[in-house]
Amino acid sequence: MNRVIPLGILALAILAFATLMLVILPGIQIRTEAPTPGLRPYSEAELRGRAVYVSEGCVYCHSQQPRSLDQAPDGERGWGRASVASDYFYDQPHQLGTMRTGPDLQNVGARLPSEAWHMTHLYQPRALYDWSVMPAYPYLFEVKDKAAPGDVVVALPERYAPEGKVVVAKPRARDLVAYLRSLDRTFPAPPTAVRDDGYSEQGEPR
Amino acid sequence: MSVTIGLLLALSFLVSLLALAFLIWAVTNRQLQLHQGQAYTVFTPGEAGTPDDATLPGDDAQSVGPHHYDAEREGIDAVSRRPVMILIGSGIAWLAIGSIFGLMASLKLHWPDWLTDVAPLTFGRVRTLHLNLVIYGWLSMTGIGVALWIAPRIFHTALRHPRLPVIGAVLWNIAVACGALAIASGWTDGEEWLEIPWQIDGLLALAGAFFVWPLLHTALRRNVDHIYVTGWYYLGALCWFPVLFFIANLPGIHSGVQEATVNWWFAHNVLGLWLTPLGVGAAYYFIPKIIGKPIYSYSLSLLGFWALALFYSQVGIHHLIGGPVPTWVVTLSIVHSVMMFVPVIAVAINQHVTVARNLWAFKASIPLRFVSLGALMYTLASFQGSIEALRAVNTVTHFTQYTVGHAHLGAYGFVSFVLFGAVYHMGPRLTGRQWPAPALIAVHFWLVVVGFAIYFFALTIGGVLQGLAMLDATRPFADSVTVLAPYLEARSVGGALMTLGHLIFAGHFVALLAQGRAPHATTAPTDTVPATQA
Amino acid sequence: MIRRKRTQAAPPDGPEETFEPYEEFRRIPLPVYWIAIALAIWGAVTLWDNAQAVGVGRQERAEQIEETPAAALNSGAQIFEARCSTCHQPNAVGVRSAIPPLAGSRFVAADPAVVVQILLHGIDGPIDVGGRTFDAHMPSFASVLSDAELARVATHVRQTWGGDRQEITAAFVRVQRARFAGRGAWRGGEELARVVDPALGPQPSAGPAVISAFADPAVLRLVNQGRGEAWACSSCHGAAGQGGANIPRLAGLPEGYIVKQLQDYVTGRRRNESMQTVAGALTDAERRGLARYYSGLRAPSTAKPELGGDVSRGEQLALYGDWSRNLPACFSCHGPSGFGVAPGFPSLAAQHPAYTASQLAAWVGGGRNNSDVQLMNEVARNLSDADRRAVADYLATLPPVPAVTQERR
Repeated sequence: MNRVIPLGILALAILAFATLMLVILPGIQIRTEAPTPGLRPYSEAELRGRAVYVSEGCVYCHSQQPRSLDQAPDGERGWGRASVASDYFYDQPHQLGTMRTGPDLQNVGARLPSEAWHMTHLYQPRALYDWSVMPAYPYLFEVKDKAAPGDVVVALPERYAPEGKVVVAKPRARDLVAYLRSLDRTFPAPPTAVRDDGYSEQGEPR
Repeated sequence: MSVTIGLLLALSFLVSLLALAFLIWAVTNRQLQLHQGQAYTVFTPGEAGTPDDATLPGDDAQSVGPHHYDAEREGIDAVSRRPVMILIGSGIAWLAIGSIFGLMASLKLHWPDWLTDVAPLTFGRVRTLHLNLVIYGWLSMTGIGVALWIAPRIFHTALRHPRLPVIGAVLWNIAVACGALAIASGWTDGEEWLEIPWQIDGLLALAGAFFVWPLLHTALRRNVDHIYVTGWYYLGALCWFPVLFFIANLPGIHSGVQEATVNWWFAHNVLGLWLTPLGVGAAYYFIPKIIGKPIYSYSLSLLGFWALALFYSQVGIHHLIGGPVPTWVVTLSIVHSVMMFVPVIAVAINQHVTVARNLWAFKASIPLRFVSLGALMYTLASFQGSIEALRAVNTVTHFTQYTVGHAHLGAYGFVSFVLFGAVYHMGPRLTGRQWPAPALIAVHFWLVVVGFAIYFFALTIGGVLQGLAMLDATRPFADSVTVLAPYLEARSVGGALMTLGHLIFAGHFVALLAQGRAPHATTAPTDTVPATQA
Repeated sequence: MIRRKRTQAAPPDGPEETFEPYEEFRRIPLPVYWIAIALAIWGAVTLWDNAQAVGVGRQERAEQIEETPAAALNSGAQIFEARCSTCHQPNAVGVRSAIPPLAGSRFVAADPAVVVQILLHGIDGPIDVGGRTFDAHMPSFASVLSDAELARVATHVRQTWGGDRQEITAAFVRVQRARFAGRGAWRGGEELARVVDPALGPQPSAGPAVISAFADPAVLRLVNQGRGEAWACSSCHGAAGQGGANIPRLAGLPEGYIVKQLQDYVTGRRRNESMQTVAGALTDAERRGLARYYSGLRAPSTAKPELGGDVSRGEQLALYGDWSRNLPACFSCHGPSGFGVAPGFPSLAAQHPAYTASQLAAWVGGGRNNSDVQLMNEVARNLSDADRRAVADYLATLPPVPAVTQERR
């Protein structure tokens, strides 16, 4: 251990090996997967909404990767089947997430398809759930005296409604909701689809 | 496909095991050992002119033994002083700002309607600002600063191109500030640990080169044959991080789940192959340095370093257990996570035995207390991480605040504590002045220790309860939120204490600088105790 | 303390600052080897173990992909037993004055298109079989059985009780499916005779349509546009009240049941924050109007098994219960084929599995606590995790509620 160059080369060789195993080989395997049958590309509005989702940092509280029923009751909660690699074909950047301060959103479009519901919830989550710790997003909305034609007016319980005014969604809120409503991967996954099946071996399903 | 993959998997693990076996064999049979005595070519004091330490008391013959070398009198510290001061100062500034954002994010989790009117202060951005400022601002800059100070000392030669790191520090600061502004304004690459837009990452990479080259050049031009263990970690980190950073930030080539594997390969390697070497390397230097006694075992140092490289580099995908990634790569990461016990035990024996045999120093010196407590947290964080990667445990802790507690045990309890100790040790040597209010060091210590204990236990217990609630189909999701709430409040209390400690730390550092540099840098250290007292 | 240290540090052996960290030579302690070897063995075992799991995972996904688990029932006789015999009886003699017999029925013996059309669309109206008039409420199987399965069961019925050896093919069913695609149930024997096969002879004609009573414009506005925080019902429950994921199918639920649930959301005996908001914004009259509307709605099934439950175990529980675990048969209260019994027992057939399973779980956890004499709390507590999923998946394979029940007319 007294030479710089061999030490560096060996260190880099080890990292190269790790990169091969963790990045290149899984990459090759995942890239050979076609999109899951039933998956469609995002529309323009949905992509704009996805950008809002990314820039507001929704991923820090919401995962998009339901676990298998062998592992956790995600499916019983209505969060959808265990996701597979090909469900994310059109996702960039990925928003898998590693935290569930809030529920999984992979299939929120199937579970909560109502645009009006999402508007209320984004403007003030506590108007619906008194226990919710989700931030309110008032800056995605504007308060007007009167709604103009074509405006999406947010339905609010009296407590949260500004007096004598209406709350109207800004385009960013509408795009975000379009994205959330597009999140529906409830179509079946092909048997050969790629995912971590490490919990499946427990024989009898949980 | 499955046959080939199974084969690859077995092969990969086999390669790691063979490498480990070879390493152990080599260590046991002294294939890698040198005669250290002769390896230490030591300058005779006074051989090289060092004008700053003329006032030093009694440089007698004892200081010229094989394991004695006076870096200060060689003028080595004087050369690296400027870049080190700038890096450490910047790091501390980012720590203060970053911890305020962290506290805000923590408070927002139980005051969800606090500061919601403007987008830059929404939880998703404040939390991200906290992470990026403390990783790229505090930990990286301070870690590099400490490395720039230690490396010339262990290489027995002055830092080469000392102006380059100054430029690098300026660029790095600009990049971190731009990254923070970008995130606050909602411009982000959108992946955890990789939020800073790749356009700004380019600047970070450029700045990084201004640190890598002087360090590498110094290593190549060293005046001692053997590279001390700290040097291995630093050299490894310098090789690894640029590669990681470059591959993970390449725009446009990653997508979907493949991007997720790159994301977590990177994110975990930032910890394992960047922050951990910076922290372990510093601990390997400061523990024996402050105590004045050698590290327990050279063989264990070797085992610890190479096993870390072998196993830590492949653990990243344990962040995607139960997710939409191939089973084999998840399993591979789990197995390697558990194998991490080997290097961690090696480092633990080495460092903790050295401290345990010199507990008097632990009691006497707060810098040593910071460093060796940090080293202890490294052991605990790694053990915890290995266990957390087990499928049965991960089912409960994944997606919960438990993980956040664990991340802070590593990045805060370990790396930050070591860096606190390093800064307290280095401060007087860099300025030639004593810390203006030594009592504040103890205040800082107890604030962050108590604060972090509250922080860690709150999130660990809360996280387990949250995870158990989520696994129980008969409990609504709301239960996992409500059961966690009091623990999040406790976390904010802990976080507030830690932030207060950081502000005191930053203020103290400013006060140290405000005294100006002593006309003659002296060694008079606050925390060192001669070896003979043992 | 620090300052005191400094005075102590007055070094007799020269300044400590010149000490150079180094490492002593010492062997690796033996336990480190043992630990490394033990971990390596564990790692190898884990890798082998997990490699096996991939196959299991694939098999699970393959099971999900099958159109319905009933596809595993190969013969028409098996499909008949699973799908038809609960009402028509195993020997196809029917139930006096309620369910028409198949044995000797003119409908079975007539043109093959008749049986297939009845299976595809169901009947909602009076028919004459063997000189008796039945008020028929036959469900549509179009959404729960494939063409091939329909062909097999139709062939079985006609061969066994119609005396016709001719085999009905899947292609024939496909043609028949396309023929009246999108229509509702046949409105009695008269329409079948007129449209499909005149050989059925004179048949009673259906009474006047009964839909009008439900189509109150104010109710329709609530359903389709909503009002304030009573978001449009259809925005979640679907245009036809078919539901999805864990949103319940409302079409065909008993009126009294729906009214009670809306009340219970408000009082909190049934916990669902969104529905509490909606129900709280509705007047009593609106709740009744909506209940009436949805109870009269018919929609094809959009449910399918999705929880990986053991469907045959689910069938067992639904039909017979499990007395070893003190579980009564679902159908003993919820009616044959889970079509519901007004006013208190909701229909279960064609309900979405995530909804059924989450409700059963909520009975256990107390999120739902609104059944008379705690009946469902008791039942749900006796169901295991796997049983909840099994029964939920089974119910999703059933055809939807056939028609409006008699009392409503």
